[in-house]
Amino acid sequence: MKIGNKEKILYLLVDKKIKPTKFMDIYRQNRGNMNKTFEHFLKYENLKLNLEEGKRNNDNTEISMHKGDRYEYFKIIDFVFKNKVDLLCIGDDGYPDILKQVYSPPLLLFFKGNKIKEMEFGIAIVGSRKCTAYGREAAGYISGNLSEMGITVVSGLAVGIDSYAHKAALEGKGGTIGVLGCGIDIVYPPENKLLYDEIALNGSIITEFFPKTPPLKSNFPVRNRIISGLCRGVIVIEAGEKSGAVITCEMALKQDREVFAVPGNIFSPAIRGCHKLIKSGAKLVERIDDILEEFSQYQENLRLCSNYDHKDHMKPHARQDTGIQGNEARIYEFIGYRAKSVEEIVKYSKMEVKEVLGILASLEIKQLIREDSFNKYSRLF
Amino acid sequence: MFFKLDSFTLVGINAIRVSVEVHLSRGLPEFIIVGLPGKAVNESRQRVRSAVINSGFDFPVKKIIVNLSPADIKKDGSFYDLPIALAILAASGQIKCDISGGSCFVGELSLDGKINPVKGLISMAEEAQKLDKKFFLVPYEIASQASFISGMDIVACKHLSEAVEAFTCRESIGKFICRDKIENISNRSNHYDFDFSDVKGQLKAKRAMEIAVSGRHNIMLIGPPGSGKTMLARRAVTIMPDLNLEECIEVTKVYSLYEKYVNRLIHERPFRNPHHTISRAGLIGGGINPRPGEISLAHKGLLFLDEFSQFPKNFIEDLRQPLENKEVIITRSHLSYSFPCNFMLIMATNPCYCGYFGDESRKCTCSQREIQKFWKKMSGPVMDRIDMRVNVARLPERSFINTETSENSNKIKKRIEKCLRIQNDRFKGKNISYNSEVGIKIINEWLKNDKKIRDLIYTISGKYNLTARGTVSILKVSRTIADLEESGIIGENHIIEAINYRVGYGCNPGNNF
Repeated sequence: MKIGNKEKILYLLVDKKIKPTKFMDIYRQNRGNMNKTFEHFLKYENLKLNLEEGKRNNDNTEISMHKGDRYEYFKIIDFVFKNKVDLLCIGDDGYPDILKQVYSPPLLLFFKGNKIKEMEFGIAIVGSRKCTAYGREAAGYISGNLSEMGITVVSGLAVGIDSYAHKAALEGKGGTIGVLGCGIDIVYPPENKLLYDEIALNGSIITEFFPKTPPLKSNFPVRNRIISGLCRGVIVIEAGEKSGAVITCEMALKQDREVFAVPGNIFSPAIRGCHKLIKSGAKLVERIDDILEEFSQYQENLRLCSNYDHKDHMKPHARQDTGIQGNEARIYEFIGYRAKSVEEIVKYSKMEVKEVLGILASLEIKQLIREDSFNKYSRLF
Repeated sequence: MFFKLDSFTLVGINAIRVSVEVHLSRGLPEFIIVGLPGKAVNESRQRVRSAVINSGFDFPVKKIIVNLSPADIKKDGSFYDLPIALAILAASGQIKCDISGGSCFVGELSLDGKINPVKGLISMAEEAQKLDKKFFLVPYEIASQASFISGMDIVACKHLSEAVEAFTCRESIGKFICRDKIENISNRSNHYDFDFSDVKGQLKAKRAMEIAVSGRHNIMLIGPPGSGKTMLARRAVTIMPDLNLEECIEVTKVYSLYEKYVNRLIHERPFRNPHHTISRAGLIGGGINPRPGEISLAHKGLLFLDEFSQFPKNFIEDLRQPLENKEVIITRSHLSYSFPCNFMLIMATNPCYCGYFGDESRKCTCSQREIQKFWKKMSGPVMDRIDMRVNVARLPERSFINTETSENSNKIKKRIEKCLRIQNDRFKGKNISYNSEVGIKIINEWLKNDKKIRDLIYTISGKYNLTARGTVSILKVSRTIADLEESGIIGENHIIEAINYRVGYGCNPGNNF
């Protein structure tokens, strides 16, 4: 087996012989030269890299090593080999430069899918696991448009806002990267299995945790630093006051990233975190241009998108655009942006229930309105 | 010293004839019943002896053998007290039979000779009619239950001595004949204490109920606590058309098996609302001597499963076959019992564990996984048989004191009756009677010549990601909507309205993420 930088770092990490921050210090002192860095450790820190391959059984499966750290090391090497997982370590080509700027970047990343190497410009979208229809819509809208413009959307593969951001981004050019808070072989939460597979194929799944690490509570703040580290900006959609999304934003600020927040209903406790961020200086996002403005200095990275005309929800739809008329138009006008119940609509229109229900369904098929909560409809455009 | 009378035993919902044969012979005094008697039949020896003595007759001091033929069918219940007593009296020569050949008897005896009610009287009366009997001697208290069976006189007796009088003297039989027939039919108007107009708001749910009852579509109401699911379901019986005589008899047959004191023909639509702690046998039917379960008691009426999610999963699976076959067959090693269960199913459930998913004013505290888990239990085959899923939202408080009057039940009922007539005409000669029962073949026939509709259906099923069954459900419901408007063909507007009752925010919250 060829022993490269990845294997060395993996060995050191498994051994817990080095502190990642210490390693980074030396690495930076040596201006990113990995060989010199290792030399330094061998010379001054009394480290030994004992990486020759252990004895294998005849069937070439079991590693008959003496128990200990090296056993762990070979187990991981074996796992990586068998499961088509790739390793990316800090001096490698393709390790995102932007991530290196972080105070304590992950020395080693386990990943599936090549997006991580190709990523040019990333923006993170984070938010509540328990999102409302509004949050879902907003995540889809923002993420879809960003990805369409060639921006990679980074998120945490959790349920709620995260999944919607991933789903929408998968369809665009920019693609998406999911950062896990557990080992790469663990799909957490399990209901995202399909999404996980799809991202592994068309985007990238990355984690700094060793395989089989369970999704411990303490892993997530650690993971959040990678999410924000990979990106130029972080967009928060529907975050409660003490949510992980707000923590990610704190990280982002420390890492000198832009922070954006999508506003919401002032009566909803689920949006309080977003509003708090806005109050303390995060940029309010209403439309895609609000995000792009902040990155005018990166024109070059954004050149991909220059000819893409994104959908703007602020553009008022002219009557001929929607192509509806008569009673449909009348009800559509009435519904407005605050949700109206079927009863209210019937009362207003003075039509029979069955007619109103028909109109509502056909407006929904035309994707002009949506059912917000039980039997309550509001306009989409 | 031999005498023979006809009586009945019950097999499921049907009665079969049992001959009660009595032979008195010389020997040590003894009283034996043979022919696979159950506990209750065996104990009838004590009741018969006391009743005979207390009615002023002598109990013969002989060796008495009673045979219940056919001897290979198990018999249980207290039907045979009266026939055994009469047969013993006749065999011992104390009374002389005047009506035996064309008559049959059933009844339980008290020790003082009073005749008590028995189960399943109406089924027996029907069998008696098939056997061309002239007289059927029954307990007085429940005689009117059987009085609608025509072509035969129901002789209602309160006491063994009256039964003896009718038995021995054909002329005096007239005064015992039950004449409830005429009186009962004219009184057949249903009155309910509640009405559809009690439900304020909920326009969508009310409309859905009307359609569901019209086409006999099974419906699921989804809504937070206090949104009025139970209220709506209870009122669904008030808009169902009245039962006709035939249906009344069928319903009464089931109920008379369930309880003894059914003293009239049941003419209300049954509404059964079993609690979710019900046992399997209680829901489907069963037991050592199989009894009808709640699904059979809901025959020709409504079965309302409130808090559907709380019912054990295997019970829900058990409903599949009865929903399809309209009868439930309970097989025991010696016999199979079948009970009818042609019911409409209404189910109500919260949208999630905490109950407030999709509610406007209160936040749902369930995680996505919990909601999916909640719905997983209900998914699959049973959900497939539910054509309509409607969400019921909580009303703002002010709506309760809303004085606006909405349509009352009678008005809706008239529309539904008309719609059912249209369906009856359409399905004449076929094996089905409601839109909800049609198969894909008939549906294809409906759509044969309408390309526009077919295109619309493709659009819809694509947009909402519908399964084949989901599409079929929408079509069935739109047929009913068209029938309500007396439209011969299914129009686009009918289909578009039907979408409301299949997809939507609350219709399957598990898939909403």
